[in-house]
Amino acid sequence: MNRTRALLKKIAWSAFTVLFVIILNFFLFRILPGDPARAGIRDPRLKKEAVEMLRVRFGLDKPVINCFESLNPIKVGSCAVNPLDTQFFIYTRNLFQGELGISYHTNRPVADILAERLWNTVLLIGAGQILSIIIGVVFGIFAAWKARTSVDYSAVIASLLVWSLPTFWLAILLLFWGSNNGLPLAGKSTPGSSSLPLIQQWVDIARHMLLPTLTYTIVYMGEYTLIMRSSLMDVLSEDYILTAKAKGLSTFQILKDHALKNAMLPLVTVIAINLGFTVAGAIQIEAVFSWPGLGGAIVEALGRRDFPVLQGAFLLIAVTVIFANLLADLTYSYLDPRVKVD
Amino acid sequence: MKHKVLYVLVLASLILAACGGAPANAPSVVHVGWAGSPDTLNPGLAILTEAYTIFELVYDSMYDLNLDGSFSLSLAESVERSEDGLVYTYKIKDGIKWHDGKPLTAEDIAFSYNLYKDTPEYPYLNGYYTPYFSSVEAVGNEVILTLTEAIPNIESQLVFLYILPKHIWENENKIEFENTAMIGSGPFKMAEYVQNEFVRLAANKEHFATPPKVAEVIFQTFENQDALVQAIKTGQMDMITEMPSTAVASLKTAENVEVVVGAPFAPGVSDIIFNQTEEENCPTPEEGGICTGHPALRDRNVRLAMSHATDKQKLIDVVLLGLGAPGLTLIPNGLGVWYNNSLKDYEFDVAKANQILDDAGYLDTDGDKIRELPDGSRPLTFRLNWPSDSITAPRMAELLSEMWGAIGISLEMQAVDPDALTSQCCPAFDFDIMLWGWASDPDPSALLYVYTSEAVPTGSSETGYSNPAYDDLYAKQQTELDFEARKAIVWEMQKIVHDDVVYIIPYYEQATQAYRTDRFTGWIVNQAKVELSDTSSLVFIEPIK
Repeated sequence: MNRTRALLKKIAWSAFTVLFVIILNFFLFRILPGDPARAGIRDPRLKKEAVEMLRVRFGLDKPVINCFESLNPIKVGSCAVNPLDTQFFIYTRNLFQGELGISYHTNRPVADILAERLWNTVLLIGAGQILSIIIGVVFGIFAAWKARTSVDYSAVIASLLVWSLPTFWLAILLLFWGSNNGLPLAGKSTPGSSSLPLIQQWVDIARHMLLPTLTYTIVYMGEYTLIMRSSLMDVLSEDYILTAKAKGLSTFQILKDHALKNAMLPLVTVIAINLGFTVAGAIQIEAVFSWPGLGGAIVEALGRRDFPVLQGAFLLIAVTVIFANLLADLTYSYLDPRVKVD
Repeated sequence: MKHKVLYVLVLASLILAACGGAPANAPSVVHVGWAGSPDTLNPGLAILTEAYTIFELVYDSMYDLNLDGSFSLSLAESVERSEDGLVYTYKIKDGIKWHDGKPLTAEDIAFSYNLYKDTPEYPYLNGYYTPYFSSVEAVGNEVILTLTEAIPNIESQLVFLYILPKHIWENENKIEFENTAMIGSGPFKMAEYVQNEFVRLAANKEHFATPPKVAEVIFQTFENQDALVQAIKTGQMDMITEMPSTAVASLKTAENVEVVVGAPFAPGVSDIIFNQTEEENCPTPEEGGICTGHPALRDRNVRLAMSHATDKQKLIDVVLLGLGAPGLTLIPNGLGVWYNNSLKDYEFDVAKANQILDDAGYLDTDGDKIRELPDGSRPLTFRLNWPSDSITAPRMAELLSEMWGAIGISLEMQAVDPDALTSQCCPAFDFDIMLWGWASDPDPSALLYVYTSEAVPTGSSETGYSNPAYDDLYAKQQTELDFEARKAIVWEMQKIVHDDVVYIIPYYEQATQAYRTDRFTGWIVNQAKVELSDTSSLVFIEPIK
């Protein structure tokens, strides 16, 4: 009973945080210098009336919120305007109706753009995360078990090395290596492949994913190896492990039943944090391999002050991070009953 | 264990490399790599050149813009202009068909022009191209276009107004319509479009004028220019539309790759902008005017001295690795006849520059190697800003700081986010010097407008320059129907702004593109302008047997 209440409290806090993000998102982008109606357009023929027309189309002709015409530059306006007719109200109302708006510049519904990009990012980063976690954990266990041997030292050095590699540099190297071996250089699929049977489409996507995923895996597995190793070494120095050894349990049994679960806690934290960032995408990897992910969409939208896309994307990222943290909290109490949910 | 994992990965990659990829290698599919993607396929709302490249291939328009800068009739077999220059009657060719098989008629053309003219949400089109349209009507197989004013450049006004099928567009919401199916009449049909990934076009073998000889063209988006260069080296792409100038040398020696250098299709111009806004022509606070420019930049002598101290050839050699020509005014050499090639540039001469400043009273009175205003109140220290997304500007800024340092001028240099720079620039005039640039319309009047007084409060003028004599000439060239007379005016205008040293134009950048020589033949490279992704090349090339 108590547990349920604590859980509800946690969820309520998360919801409150999301609400805060919704409000912050709106003002954050409107404080930025620059005008969406002129951003990215360098044409002397763009007249004042045209800019005004664009502002009307984007809904930017309305006051931002009561008492404020605009936030950059700050222009104080009438406080007596109908609050229903302010940008802020229209934004929140649409949001609660599940409407993220239309992108100013691509003229497409933001929900469509985000769904498309999110799927691409989750595909790429998800695969990279899973691979790097598996490889990292396995290496970490191996290194911890063989602590202070040459196996351990080489694992630590290798992990430090790959962890400190500049992502874009590794990505470029792999790109050159891959392109000389017939792997595609850009995009998520081969144009025209959508008419092929499903299996071949998947193979095609896998070919495109291979290099970016490999980059992601290499860069992140070092981090996981090191955390797993140090956490497991801590646990292995405990008395109960010695007891287990004395009881004559096999290495495998000790690791599986006594050590691993306790050693997982710090790793769960890092995984949760990284999962949150997963949605934001690995911008550098996306940029090098021209992977049409969420990171690229955000950069592009920022360049043209595409408020609806920015607001939608930031909301999505915030929700994911908050959700991942909630999940991590809950996992803790499962892994270690001493950690209370409240 | 690590080896095993790597081994598995390498093995997997080889398996994946071996299978798949079949559609990519099919013959007669042209792969074009570019560094962008269309913003939208709705011609009323698009602004990116990538969108226009696709429109050019999928739609037809009243005129074609040729690579030598001239225009030729496309959909019409003849045109008649009335005596007063107000009414144009186009006789439309018979037998032209839309991609869905329906006939293209004068109705469709009139519908399209009226759509562009009457949809306020298409501000680019009705602001740029249709402001002089009074009415457009279809009578039989003729389109009658009536203007409010006689203008000399009807071709450039119509060339980017693409003809849309009435039977599709009349039923759509003009603003929300994404137009991804894109039924047109041009030499290519839309086959598949994934935004930010690729555009796949299929040949329209029944095109009335130029049926392509290849089966498909695929435009592949690269976010990374090094990958673009690598793609043509390895043969994954047959042509690339741009490359960093650092890649040109290595591509020139690459096997089966030909690099083409020349004036770009939409000629570009880089500019060094001096804020010379006087108090009396500063836009009002309501219009957004702030006007914090350094007073010395309002003095022609200072700007002239800075011109003499600017080694343009060095800028070209270092910043562009030689791929450019010294600039004069905002009208680039790529505009052909409109470019005034009789102007003589201010020669690079540091001693002369120093002399000009000395004579004008800008002396270094406190011995810090930086000159002060004649009244000694303020040093010649200028803020220099440029858009942070520019690759060339930081290098140019370094060089300018060195060159102008030699004449006692110092710079406070800072890159600024492009949108923030726009709001700093105009009509706020909250800067001293900026590095930026323009892309040009085929007609010179768009860029000539930038120098007018009228453009100061609207945000198109970057300098705040104001000269009534120039303004009069601008108005005159807009209605001068005689080509030679108009050309004389346009040349005269360039002379005025060059004499007044409104800008320093460091260079006109050249376009660099590359194509594979082992897959397709017939790329058009011997024209005044280079644009391999233009219809002229893509309908002409054929596979090498």
